[in-house]
Amino acid sequence: MKAMIEVKDLKKRYGDKQAVDGISFDVKKGEIFGILGPNGAGKTTTLEMMETLREIDSGFVKIDGIDVKKNPQKIKYIIGVQPQTPAFQDKTRLTEVIEMFAAAYGEKVDPMEFLRDVDLEEKATNFVEDLSGGQKQRLSITTALVHGPKVFFLDEPTTGLDPQARRNLWELIEQVRDKGISVVMTTHYMDEAEILCDRIAVMDEGKIIALDTPKDLIKALLKRGFTKKQHVEQANLEDVFIDLTGKALREG
Amino acid sequence: MKKAFYTIWVFYKINTKRFFRDKLALFFGIGFPLIFLFVFGALNGNSNSVSFNVALINKSDSSFAKEFTKDIKGSKVLKVNKEVTTLSEAEDKMSRSEIDAAIVLPAEFGDVKKGEKYPSGQAEVLYTQNNQASGQALGSILDAQFKGINGKFTHTVQPFSVKTEQLSKKSLTAFDYTFAGLLGFAILGMGIFGPINVFPELKKMGILRRLSTTPLRVWQYFVSIMLGQATTGLISLAIMFAVAIGVFHLKVAGNYLELIAFIVFGIIMILGIGLALGGWAKNERQAAPLSNIIVFPMMFLSGTFFPRYLMPEWLQHVSGFLPLTPVIDGVRLIATEGVHLTAILPQIGLIAGWMVIVYLIAFKVFRWE
Repeated sequence: MKAMIEVKDLKKRYGDKQAVDGISFDVKKGEIFGILGPNGAGKTTTLEMMETLREIDSGFVKIDGIDVKKNPQKIKYIIGVQPQTPAFQDKTRLTEVIEMFAAAYGEKVDPMEFLRDVDLEEKATNFVEDLSGGQKQRLSITTALVHGPKVFFLDEPTTGLDPQARRNLWELIEQVRDKGISVVMTTHYMDEAEILCDRIAVMDEGKIIALDTPKDLIKALLKRGFTKKQHVEQANLEDVFIDLTGKALREG
Repeated sequence: MKKAFYTIWVFYKINTKRFFRDKLALFFGIGFPLIFLFVFGALNGNSNSVSFNVALINKSDSSFAKEFTKDIKGSKVLKVNKEVTTLSEAEDKMSRSEIDAAIVLPAEFGDVKKGEKYPSGQAEVLYTQNNQASGQALGSILDAQFKGINGKFTHTVQPFSVKTEQLSKKSLTAFDYTFAGLLGFAILGMGIFGPINVFPELKKMGILRRLSTTPLRVWQYFVSIMLGQATTGLISLAIMFAVAIGVFHLKVAGNYLELIAFIVFGIIMILGIGLALGGWAKNERQAAPLSNIIVFPMMFLSGTFFPRYLMPEWLQHVSGFLPLTPVIDGVRLIATEGVHLTAILPQIGLIAGWMVIVYLIAFKVFRWE
């Protein structure tokens, strides 16, 4: 099957730092592709070049056969972008947010249908500033899908969310994938990558140092003779801390 | 193309609704200029009547002097300070400009001298260096008053005289100038302070960045803002006109359609300055200093708070080219002098020129983040 996204020898330099150093990978239609790596590895820069937000120094990104560098305006019609911290102008109703984002693509949609997809129809006439962090994330996801994109980008979508909101978001991302949309996301959380991603690219210092399914990456590691230290502790440092400082919540 | 305008329409519609939901925006867009209107309107309310604060020191006890003192105290032009009774007190107050001049009636003022039929005397008007103008004006006022009195006593023929007559033609009052200036101030406030406050905030929150991943074009975004500004600006100015007409008796001589067209034209040009500043600035710290450099000269030199005709001539020439000046002049010419758009082509041309310049810059320097 032909790849939805084709990245070839992509490079980006900031001053004397080679942020992205010649990476190549493909993303298939309808898969969740995770980009992992420590801070400063070049994950976000890679994502931003694919989203038309950053100039590409050399190499290319093709989405559905269209070159991002040569045709950014066309690319914008087929991608959806979820920023790290979604924000909306205040005093705007949820229905109006959907209406505006659809209008940005020149389209008219039924806002309620999109709010229902992310379980926000009860909040339809509220202002965006009344939403919780998780609700804002969900609203942001549905606004990124109003125009029926082929690729959906998420930059560390679950950072700062509580465990319930995280799991809810994972479900939503899976639903997006099940519609046949390719999902590209960055994350710091290994559990998230393991549960959610079909394939993973691990980046460090601007290079991809491993690329496979989570299962095969683990298998390969075990084959190399890796064993986890197995021991059972009676207590850990957290227990010590709680014992010393007590369980009550503190002010400030 | 039809889709492109649908985009603009939706952005315009929702952002204009947001303006009316935002109490702070309503206050700065509508309430704030109204406060200025009331303050300046009240200040100018009685500026048509000139008056002098004087001290009256009467050293004479003649009946004529008493009569004359009473007349002066009843005068509308002269306000007599009742606390001052001695010359040293008067000098003290004059040195602090609390009074403009002192009128001294000497001891023999109004006495009938031996061998004469009528009372006579010479009043003195004393003033300090910094009050020369009012002192001299006061001298002529008293002089004229004495001439009238002299005429009653001696029936000599006066071969030459001056007759003054008020023409029925309406002239501009100070309020007419002030009102046009305040409209200019409102246009300046909305067009520049709006974008320079909002854009850096939108950039900080990443809202503009998110929009830049959609096919929305900068020109579509700008046009939707222009339409919104024209709408809210016209509403704000309409309220100012209503108050000026109802409370301060402003008489609008010109054609309302021409006035609206001209005001929209001016609003959009001034908005361009705000779009250039706000669109360029990455954050508030970048926006504030540059906008102050640009806004303050216009605020003080374009005739917002004091009319330009009070400035020295060279400054009038320079300030005539500031972007806001033709807007204020044009509004005043149409609204209070009733001229047509064809008569203010120099102003329209100057605004058009600025519009081209500011929008070229605005499109060039705009950044989404």
